Amino acid sequence: MNQEKLKIGIYELTGCAGDALLILDCEKELLDIFNAADIQSFLMAKSDNIDGELDVALVEGSVTTEREIEELKDIRKRSKLVVAIGLCATVGGIQARFLDQKEWEDHFKKVYGDVKMIHTEAVQSKPIDAYIDVDYYLPGCPIGKEQFLNFFTRFLKGNPPEKSQNPVCVTCKYNENECLLKKGILCLGPLTADGCGSVCINHNLPCVGCWGPLDVANRTSEFYLLQEQGYAVEEIKKKMANYSGSKIAGFFEKLGKEKR
Amino acid sequence: MKKITIDHLARVEGNGGVTATIDGKVVTDVKFNIYEGPRLIERLTVGRTPEEDVSIAPRICAICTLSHKNAVLWAMENALSVTVPRKVYLARDLMHMGEMIESHSLHIFYLALPDYVGFPNAIAMASKFAFEVKIALEMKEFGNHIMKVLSGRYIHGENPVIGGFGKFPSREEFLWIKNRAIQFMPFVYKTVSLFCELDYPDCPEDDTLYACCEPGNNEYGFWGDEILLSNGERVFRDDYMKVTNEFVVSHSYAKHSRYNGKPYSVGALARVNNLGERLKGEAGERYKKYFNQRWKRNPLFHNAAQALEILYCFEKIPQLVDEILQIPEDPPLVQYTAKEGKGTALVEAPRGLLIHHYEIEHGLVKHVDIITPTAQNAEDIERYCHLAAQKLLDEGKEDEIRDRMDLVVRAFDPCISCSAHLAQVQKAPKENWKVQLDKITSKGIPIFVGVGNLNRSDDALGINLAQKLREQGVSHVWLETELRGKGEPLENRNDQPLIFLDALDFQEEPGKVTLLPLEYVFRKASLSHKFAPFIQLLKNSEQLKNSYLLGVQPQSVKEGGNLSIRVREALDKILECLAN
Repeated sequence: MNQEKLKIGIYELTGCAGDALLILDCEKELLDIFNAADIQSFLMAKSDNIDGELDVALVEGSVTTEREIEELKDIRKRSKLVVAIGLCATVGGIQARFLDQKEWEDHFKKVYGDVKMIHTEAVQSKPIDAYIDVDYYLPGCPIGKEQFLNFFTRFLKGNPPEKSQNPVCVTCKYNENECLLKKGILCLGPLTADGCGSVCINHNLPCVGCWGPLDVANRTSEFYLLQEQGYAVEEIKKKMANYSGSKIAGFFEKLGKEKR
Repeated sequence: MKKITIDHLARVEGNGGVTATIDGKVVTDVKFNIYEGPRLIERLTVGRTPEEDVSIAPRICAICTLSHKNAVLWAMENALSVTVPRKVYLARDLMHMGEMIESHSLHIFYLALPDYVGFPNAIAMASKFAFEVKIALEMKEFGNHIMKVLSGRYIHGENPVIGGFGKFPSREEFLWIKNRAIQFMPFVYKTVSLFCELDYPDCPEDDTLYACCEPGNNEYGFWGDEILLSNGERVFRDDYMKVTNEFVVSHSYAKHSRYNGKPYSVGALARVNNLGERLKGEAGERYKKYFNQRWKRNPLFHNAAQALEILYCFEKIPQLVDEILQIPEDPPLVQYTAKEGKGTALVEAPRGLLIHHYEIEHGLVKHVDIITPTAQNAEDIERYCHLAAQKLLDEGKEDEIRDRMDLVVRAFDPCISCSAHLAQVQKAPKENWKVQLDKITSKGIPIFVGVGNLNRSDDALGINLAQKLREQGVSHVWLETELRGKGEPLENRNDQPLIFLDALDFQEEPGKVTLLPLEYVFRKASLSHKFAPFIQLLKNSEQLKNSYLLGVQPQSVKEGGNLSIRVREALDKILECLAN
């Protein structure tokens, strides 16, 4: 056990900082985390940060300014592995909902008017893999504590983390919840990546989809099933899109128009 | 010209920096830059159902997630006329206490304290302050635990919804919280002594105005229907724009706020300054022991104020739990049928006054305005950094400026991701100003107020125009100087439109005339500096709605110059139009 500690950097782009905060929220494990790895950079936690070579960079937040694009590319250059943590970094987050540049610009103007920013230009929100290669993804809004610690310890031991291939429904069944869809409540469990422990349904509330879309979910089929249950097309689309980010934004455009 | 820059502020929440510009012996400028990009949250929430916004809006900020949750819930419930049962009210209060404890203990122990004891971070500090670091972590965890139990998880919990909670915690969970709070008391007292007795540098010190919620019933608390200012003024929640009037600045995606043209502070220090007399029990005793005149002038005492509030929360939690448990039945969600409505809520986030405003039509949200504490503090953060930098420069301690600014910014406990929020601006009317003016004057005889500075070139145009109007025999014309501090001339004049005349920088061609509703100007960028004092003259929001700004794009506002030719031409055009 004389090997060198892994050099790790934790970076925040634009978001709510919830993923970095969740790492700080691992109170019992925090001192161990700082002891087990060599945390080179973690702006929220410390001020003696070094921007050097890294084994692993954990990046949270979406890319929303020119300055962040440069910063991100620099992080990639310095790091052997880059991990996207949280919904914003993995799919762009709630702010990456606009389909094209024009739509985004219209909204931007409505908020800021024509003021020209002096320090950095804003760009449409994108997940980090729009600009760099990403090795691993850890989704969630924000990431879960158990999920993070599991991931982190595996990494320390040199085992690459596994991505969940289940929808929220699988855990929900383990938790013996009654299916809300059957009770006539629009729940996004079947379309959403697992990892939260089906927390909302455990509280009698429908899944809002905050872990982001499950890659293997059959969204088209679910869309028609929900329509058959009597939900309005726009209502379903909006709910599905809230936390889906930019990667499948185009899907909602075509939804309902395809041949079955 | 020299610049001292803190590129990335460490140990704050989010991504920002500070730059001080020094020219010889003078600090010419300090900018609190926010690099956190824009997320357009106030657009993302438009077109959604109230329930969807209750989920989306708190995503603005992870640290204040439950303050945002409470704010969006109270605002939506105000809009939809939902009244929640007492048990829901108490449980939300308890949830809020959890966030206060979590956020304050994270800030004072982990982010702020290392500066005062000479360590780069809390983990390194553990070598000397092992006990404090360990117990502070437990305290923070306890705050987190309360948040998790009530809201469903540590961050962005979905359990609090319109009309109540998806599921109430069990009696055992409530009792555990109560007992744990009592166990903590010895350490809580230590915390207060530690932070109230810290040796805070006396630079920067200066007066400011403090703003917080008025909890009512002469109690301390974290929400209310009025904004209470340290000068004794009160503003009802629906009129919040009188206080905040946000504007865009070019160095930040966070908007800035001023009240009556002056920066103001919000946060724990504002609350203790405005409401400290109302603290009871041990918190009251310690307030009497430690509070002094320096707390009114020195932003570094934010840390002491947060420690005092931690004590307030720990004393309050057992009382809240007892009251909750006296109501055995868990109330079901309050159902509502309303599809329309407007609602505003004022909530104290850990770092200060937070305002949410929603307008709902046909069951969907049509308009959203969110004003965050750090956006309101931004002006004072810059001002205090400026004061500190100048004083240190005068004392020949230039090399200390960087660290001191760091200390000042951190004391405000800025929450940068939530301040990079976006207020929607109303569309500027595209109509020609003459057509607009006809419409306004058809509603009533307008009152004109000339605003500006006679010594500053084109900035004199407002005063100039007002004087000329008087010469032409137009009635109801006032000059800025005649109105200062006096509201009488404008009283009982709700039916008369109020037109301010001023230079208005919209980066247009010099001489370009613009007529805008005043509400728009306050939300929009280039609002004229000394304009805000007049906001206090307006007696109510109705009058604000009936107020306008007739502005001319200046060519220059340099000291000592005269009116430029193009502005003079514009004035002639306006006079001609008004004479008709």
